Amino acid sequence: MSTPVALKPAAEAATGDGGPRLGRRLTGFMPLIALLALVVALAIADPGFLTQRSLTAVARTAAPLIVLAAAATLIVLCGGIDLSIAAVASLSTVLLALWLPHLGGLATPAVILAAASIGAVQGVAHVLLRIPSFIVTLGGMSILSAVALVVSGAGTVRVVDDSTVKWLELYVGGYVPMSFVMALVVVALIALALRLTPLRSWISATGYSESAARLAGTPVDLVKIGAFVVSGAGAGFAAIMLVSRQFSGGPTMADNLLLPAVAAIVVGGTAITGGHGSVWRSLAGALVVTLLRVGLPIVGVPSAYEQILYGVIIVIAVTLTLDWSKVSIIK
Amino acid sequence: MSVPASTPALEVRGLVKHYPGVTALDGVDLVVRQHEVLGLVGENGAGKSTLLKALVGLVVPDAGEIRVRGEAVKLRSVVDAADHGIGMVFQEQSLVPNLTAAENILLGGEGPGVRRGVYRWDAMRRLAQEQLDKIGSNIDPLVRTDALSFADRQMVEIAKVLRIEQRSQHPPVIVLDEPTSVLEAKEIETLFAQIRRLREFASVVFVSHRLDEVLEVCDRVAVLRNGQSVGELAAAGAVPRELHRMMIGSTGSDDHYHENAAAVVESERPRLTVRGLSGTSFQDVDLDVAAGEIVAIVGVHGSGREDVCRALFGAEPVTAGEIRMDGKKINISGTRAACAAGIGYVPAERKTEGMVGPMSVAENMTLAKQRSRCAGPFVAPGKQAAVVDRWIDRLCIRTPGRDTPIQRLSGGNQQKVVLARWLVDGDIRLLLLDHPTRGLDIGARSEVYRLMRELAASGVATVLLADSLEEAIGMADRILVMNDGRVVSEVACPAGGKPSPLDLVKEMV
Ligand SMILES: Nc1ncnc2c1ncn2[C@@H]1O[C@H](COP(=O)(O)OP(=O)(O)OP(=O)(O)O)[C@@H](O)[C@H]1O
Ligand SMILES: [Mg+2]
Repeated sequence: MSTPVALKPAAEAATGDGGPRLGRRLTGFMPLIALLALVVALAIADPGFLTQRSLTAVARTAAPLIVLAAAATLIVLCGGIDLSIAAVASLSTVLLALWLPHLGGLATPAVILAAASIGAVQGVAHVLLRIPSFIVTLGGMSILSAVALVVSGAGTVRVVDDSTVKWLELYVGGYVPMSFVMALVVVALIALALRLTPLRSWISATGYSESAARLAGTPVDLVKIGAFVVSGAGAGFAAIMLVSRQFSGGPTMADNLLLPAVAAIVVGGTAITGGHGSVWRSLAGALVVTLLRVGLPIVGVPSAYEQILYGVIIVIAVTLTLDWSKVSIIK
Repeated sequence: MSVPASTPALEVRGLVKHYPGVTALDGVDLVVRQHEVLGLVGENGAGKSTLLKALVGLVVPDAGEIRVRGEAVKLRSVVDAADHGIGMVFQEQSLVPNLTAAENILLGGEGPGVRRGVYRWDAMRRLAQEQLDKIGSNIDPLVRTDALSFADRQMVEIAKVLRIEQRSQHPPVIVLDEPTSVLEAKEIETLFAQIRRLREFASVVFVSHRLDEVLEVCDRVAVLRNGQSVGELAAAGAVPRELHRMMIGSTGSDDHYHENAAAVVESERPRLTVRGLSGTSFQDVDLDVAAGEIVAIVGVHGSGREDVCRALFGAEPVTAGEIRMDGKKINISGTRAACAAGIGYVPAERKTEGMVGPMSVAENMTLAKQRSRCAGPFVAPGKQAAVVDRWIDRLCIRTPGRDTPIQRLSGGNQQKVVLARWLVDGDIRLLLLDHPTRGLDIGARSEVYRLMRELAASGVATVLLADSLEEAIGMADRILVMNDGRVVSEVACPAGGKPSPLDLVKEMV
């Protein structure tokens, strides 16, 4: 006895149902298409845009955002969200500025470790106390911002000797900012770890259906805590990029990166409901967001309108990428 | 505007629905007469649910025609369908649990039940009671739905659906998709009484994989195969065998439970020994399963048998008791520990707990045993392909390929993938099967039974929460009866000396 499935032969299916498939494939490339369209549009609006100088500036600006977004993507893939990344990054800039004089070269790993530990604490709170990640990181954001204010004395902390973080301001091949290269390395490392190990399955399963993942013996709790650790470490690394550029740390230095980072993730097409997406998408998303940011003044829009833009693109991007079949209740 | 009695209540002509790579409906014809209960049967993936969804506007067909009382209609939404007097009782139960039955029944159509934005409870009660009276139910409209039994909630669903009568002056058509798959024998009787009552003033379309019950409650049965209508027959005098032959297009085997393949129980090798296990909804449970033995646990809703299973898999807390595997005491702190101890679990809710729908067959199959597809810490694509293809072959899983998302497979094939998950690395020692055949057609069920026999023969111990008493008796070597969280009796169930369902029912209540 058998259980036939009403399946057409593959070849027939490919020709017979070309339409929706092409559509779906296009949605997959949406962030890349948007990126290209933006570059073309900006090049037309400002012929000076496609010069090496301004492209280098874009790459430098994009680097911290790429790292923040790529690292936080793991949490979104698990079905959660990390609202504390910008606050962690701000605090990390302060810590780095304070520690550099004492620890020298060790300050960089120490800051990344500290940021990762903050992520771990939030992850553990989320998993063990069963508080939604949204709430944990909202609380975390508020607490960490306050901590940053306290330890910095509510002011900018100048870096006198930045010799150990200056390497990020070098240029590879003379043109490509080192920070951008490092951001790409971070993205590639995370992507490779997902691609080559069972992590991808574990994270997707957790994001798509946590109960199914748990009942298949997936280490759901560890995976989630791990995602928070990576997200924290990413925020720490982004902080180092910021300090190397600005020669100082400040308690609100990275705060304006939260919305762009979330926008980068959703513009990239990673589903906010979890499961579907990738860090490459967030890379593309971060570039799109950066170009928009850089491009607004070029086309003559005052930068005060920037926040409106983030709001609009987040809502539009989520609308386009949301898997409605999975969402029964809109919270 | 009267419609002659001979005009069908509903008529479907040449309905076609394509999904990417799948033709769910391939020119279906169907006639639902006035005041009849029409059964709709077919194998998993035959297109029954898609057809019903098209009738209530949840699926928009690519081609074909739907006529309501002779008039061609376009149904684009559930509201459209309701306007034409067609309503669906959702299997996944669409009630809001913390609202009263009255609120649920009237949800979105409170009418005089609300004045100036405030509930008028007396009016609410009266309006809801009107709906409940239609089905002769004595449920109190003001009781919260989460306090109702499963079967009562289904009655509330039916009362709610019957509200569509207010939207059209014609007798309604009510469609039910596998309403019995989650009900107990007694609850099914109540539902059937209800369906017979509905026939007085409505038409009913009823889908089920249990052919005997289809023949019991329906007037006429239509058969779907691969998205096409392949025939129909009058229920009176028909036998399940005949229906099954029409479903699969050939004659099936008679030895449904593969009893001649039953394993020799190695009773001297106790695999699982549970003593005094207690949890939130069960107390003091003792359970022994030997290698190669299939032990079924039967009991009504609330007997705690599901919870015992989940507790053994570490998915539910245990407050006291001892669990031994092969004589060694083990501590099951969570699902991971259970997996590591060689325990596998197949949950009853396949779609939400058993599988991860958007993920591929390969990923779903290797989810629990990553080592089976890895070399060191890395996934080895070649190894994965080999192991997955081997199990696709061995279990005859019908899938376009190992990379197809599992949600595109039919129910039976999904279930085989979920089962294979525990077999891929060959160190499974105990299988906990919670309704492993729920929602599966006869053919798929029989294959799952065969697989269970094979596993038992290879020494795997099995705990089975069967879908029906017949299944428990057919498959098990021993049956435990649970009631109110306790094991109340044990019935030997050897091949050739099977107890009758009646004997078991006596123990259960
Ligand atoms: N949303 C969808 N996307 C893609 N394929 C689908 C979708 N819904 C159904 N199908 C496919 O259409 C076919 C018919 O599915 P349908 O659910 O109607 O079958 P069924 O007869 O109800 O089966 P079962 O007895 O398992 O409930 C199946 O092959 C199924 O995989
Ligand atoms: Mg169905």
